[in-house]
Amino acid sequence: MLSEIFQLWDMHKLGLRTLEHLSMFGLAMIFSIFLGIGIGIVLYTNKKISNTVFNILNLIQVIPTLALLVLLLPLLGLGKLPTVVACILYSVLPIARNTYSGLANIGKDYIETGKAVGLSGKDILIKIRIPLALPLIAGGIRIAVVFTIGVITLGGLIAAGGLGAPLQTGIHLYDKPLILFTGIWVGLIALIFDGIGALGEKLLKKRYHYGNV
Amino acid sequence: MEMFSKILTLTAEHLALAYGSLAISILAGIALAVASLYNRKLAVVIITLANLVEAIPSFAVVALVVPLMGIGFRPAIVAILFRALLPIIKNTYIGLKNVDAAYLEAAKGIGLTNFQILKVIRFPHAYPPMFAGIKFAAILTNGIAVLTAIIGSGGLGKLVFEGLASFNVKKIIYGIIPVMLISLATEVILTLAEKKITPAALRKQA
Repeated sequence: MLSEIFQLWDMHKLGLRTLEHLSMFGLAMIFSIFLGIGIGIVLYTNKKISNTVFNILNLIQVIPTLALLVLLLPLLGLGKLPTVVACILYSVLPIARNTYSGLANIGKDYIETGKAVGLSGKDILIKIRIPLALPLIAGGIRIAVVFTIGVITLGGLIAAGGLGAPLQTGIHLYDKPLILFTGIWVGLIALIFDGIGALGEKLLKKRYHYGNV
Repeated sequence: MEMFSKILTLTAEHLALAYGSLAISILAGIALAVASLYNRKLAVVIITLANLVEAIPSFAVVALVVPLMGIGFRPAIVAILFRALLPIIKNTYIGLKNVDAAYLEAAKGIGLTNFQILKVIRFPHAYPPMFAGIKFAAILTNGIAVLTAIIGSGGLGKLVFEGLASFNVKKIIYGIIPVMLISLATEVILTLAEKKITPAALRKQA
């Protein structure tokens, strides 16, 4: 059993595939976190355009993942680039939306207190609103983590490498052990990262969640 | 012209695959959510499972069905069901569960039976999360119905994979555009349906 797994791992270069998967994951997450939080804050300070922007982001969310990936092909070609871009497009909305609603739904007491001790609007944003919104932002990032792992798996279909590639090979060759092992491995990776996200969210809640939000 | 009729046939296949499964998911999901409302153990199992499955990529789910059930239309339906059912159950359950206790007490006070409470109090209050779950599931279903073409389910995904295999971008786009239109239409229809069935008194909150 164990030797079979090692053989599979070697033959299909699963170590390399996992690394490819994680490197795309890391890249996509870094961009979508900065972009998502940035957009959330900008929209919060600019309420007039927030509805329009959220509607556009919602529209992207309705497009099935594979469709978005494929639509990027004529623009960006095959491989890693369209995969990472699709991940970012999908992940920006949950992060931006959570950031926005986190910033907007702070208990009035905190804001009043901030004003009373003479903080400016910008100070209130940086010292009160953003820290209190962190648990919600973490929740958005967690959703993005799940999306990103999924989209990268699909990237295997457009030659981006990653763990989608051995899955595709397995399906084409009807290689049951390969499919089972890779499928479970991908699922496990997704669960591990979701678990890490859950832990982060929990810690932030403990630290910053004062009963409202 | 030949292409057009092919797209139509594949669209019909896609609709049967995706929305047949979605219909089953909605019916079964609501039934299971109601059952979990009265059975704590079932609720715990379902919520845990739903959280687990939500993290697993669709492509992995599609692939994992192959060793267990082979390829074709039926395994595709199973993959879609597995993926769509759980968000529907979870959201419906959460909606039904989190109704303000005051409403429930008041309903008991005027002598409504459990079934009546479910029908006129719990469900109308649960519509927003329930519809959010159904919308999420509808988008997932659309997406996976495209993916399952790789395991021989037919449908619009077939065009996409044929296009991918031969780098025929036109074919890929022909396959994808109907899927996107269907997705958008579903979102609009579900939003309208939600508005329509929500009682007037609750509309403002939603």
